[in-house]
Amino acid sequence: MSNIIRLVWFDLKQELTPPVWILLEWGTFGLQLSIYGALISRLVTAMPNYLQFYSVGFVIMMTFEIGSHTGRHFVEHAHEGRLPYLLSLPIPRWKLFLAIALQGGAELALLLVVPLSVTLIIIGNLTVLSVASAIATLFFLGFGVSGIMLALSFIAFRSADIYTAIVTALSTLIIRFSTVFYPLMFLPSSYAAAAVFSPLTYGADLVRLILGFNPSMLVDPRIALAVLTALAVSTLGIGVVLLQRLVEGVKSG
Amino acid sequence: MVAVETRNLTKLYGKTKALKELDFTINEGEIMVLLGPNGSGKTTLLLILATVLKPTSGIAKVMDFDVVKQPTQVRQILGIAFQEARGFWRHKPTEILRFHATVCGVPKDKREALIEQVMKDLELWDSRGKLFMHLSGGQAKRLEVAKLLVQRPRLAIFDEPSSQVDLRGKRIIWDHIRKLRDEGSTVLVATNEVREAEYLADRITILDQGLSVVCDTVKHLKDSIAGGDVVELEVEASSQDDIVKELSKLEGTFRVTALDESHIRAYVSMAEAWVPKMTTLCYQRNSRVLSVRVTEPSLDDVFLHFTGRVLGVATS
Repeated sequence: MSNIIRLVWFDLKQELTPPVWILLEWGTFGLQLSIYGALISRLVTAMPNYLQFYSVGFVIMMTFEIGSHTGRHFVEHAHEGRLPYLLSLPIPRWKLFLAIALQGGAELALLLVVPLSVTLIIIGNLTVLSVASAIATLFFLGFGVSGIMLALSFIAFRSADIYTAIVTALSTLIIRFSTVFYPLMFLPSSYAAAAVFSPLTYGADLVRLILGFNPSMLVDPRIALAVLTALAVSTLGIGVVLLQRLVEGVKSG
Repeated sequence: MVAVETRNLTKLYGKTKALKELDFTINEGEIMVLLGPNGSGKTTLLLILATVLKPTSGIAKVMDFDVVKQPTQVRQILGIAFQEARGFWRHKPTEILRFHATVCGVPKDKREALIEQVMKDLELWDSRGKLFMHLSGGQAKRLEVAKLLVQRPRLAIFDEPSSQVDLRGKRIIWDHIRKLRDEGSTVLVATNEVREAEYLADRITILDQGLSVVCDTVKHLKDSIAGGDVVELEVEASSQDDIVKELSKLEGTFRVTALDESHIRAYVSMAEAWVPKMTTLCYQRNSRVLSVRVTEPSLDDVFLHFTGRVLGVATS
């Protein structure tokens, strides 16, 4: 077993013994969908079968939260002294960063496997290609969100409290002002103007397009793909560069 | 052979200079102790050698590998026990050691036996089923040390290895660090505890405000303090006056004081050389020496001598 897999498994194992966090996330999804989702889908009449739309939105929101958690986790590790330990191990840096990224991806997969499966069942009539593309888009979005958190980590090295406050506020704005739960065309104009700046708008609409939702309700897929690519590449790139500089200047303990 | 060498090593944190053009060497197979107060640059130096931090300027080499240019090779031959053992809250000690041993290349057939032996040696075996977050501070610290005892790297770095550990535990840790040296590892220990430094060191480097103030063996450092050894004599009362004058003239005498009619205190350099001269003199003068007590200077005194500050005050 290579050191990359060993590193990934060492951390992942503790999430699974026992898998409380994962079960709670699945439970939250189940409750949210079966109670709130079912109720609101009866109230929303402008769109046929709103439950499907809502279900995808909730998976997107979970992706954002998990990606965000992964990024924050990394910053916490740097503060706790775990990162210096990992950096001192006889593993090349690229393998270490790859292992951390893969661990985030594996957590994302574990947490989303049930919600996404339920969503796909609700939507029905899907192809292997569309499901694979949707999963790939979710991972892309997850990496992008992790990158945002990493790029913001320079704040955490000055003040963990300010970092937490900024990340919480930013997360709220990014989720609320997006098309996660409502299509752009149905949003009030001021709300819609803000939603075009949220990366979740593009992630959510691209996944919906792939899963067969009506394209007229969604943002242009080419723009969505471009935004997501730019987000993942730029934030992860900036995040890694900033982090390397910061880690080199941070004392342990 | 030189195991570690730094030349003009400088590390800046913003405008703060943690290390100031540090020149420093460790010989292969010795225990080098870095003694200095908090903020003297000890941990920064260790982290640079462990390739966790990059130096701002200067050169640092471990077994001839440059820490900036060949970091992976450096990490393959060294191990570091950090000042604070943290981070794997929901893992058990055996899992943490197994992971560390595997990543560091301890052969599979020896791994489990070695882990069990080290855990028993450091009195961690009974806690093997606990989660890390449920260990006491002392147990967590011993676990941090255990990583290196399992790994047995060519260069073992310990950052305050016995802080938070009780007196018995300290002695156990120190003995194992010495054993590690005896089995061929080069050891670097950073501490601000003089007892730890005195017990472990083959050589000591005193670090103060990012600078290496002095580096030598404990004995040479103590001997270098003029008048640092204190010899207290009890002589027959009748012969004291002459003896005080004669003792003052002996080579290595710094100052001689009569405490009362039979007790004399002499401040000397290198008491082991001075005492035979003193006994010869007393014998020639027909003065009977009833008792001799020699007190060496402590490393606190050495630190004070070389830095002008008291170690305890500097640390706090």
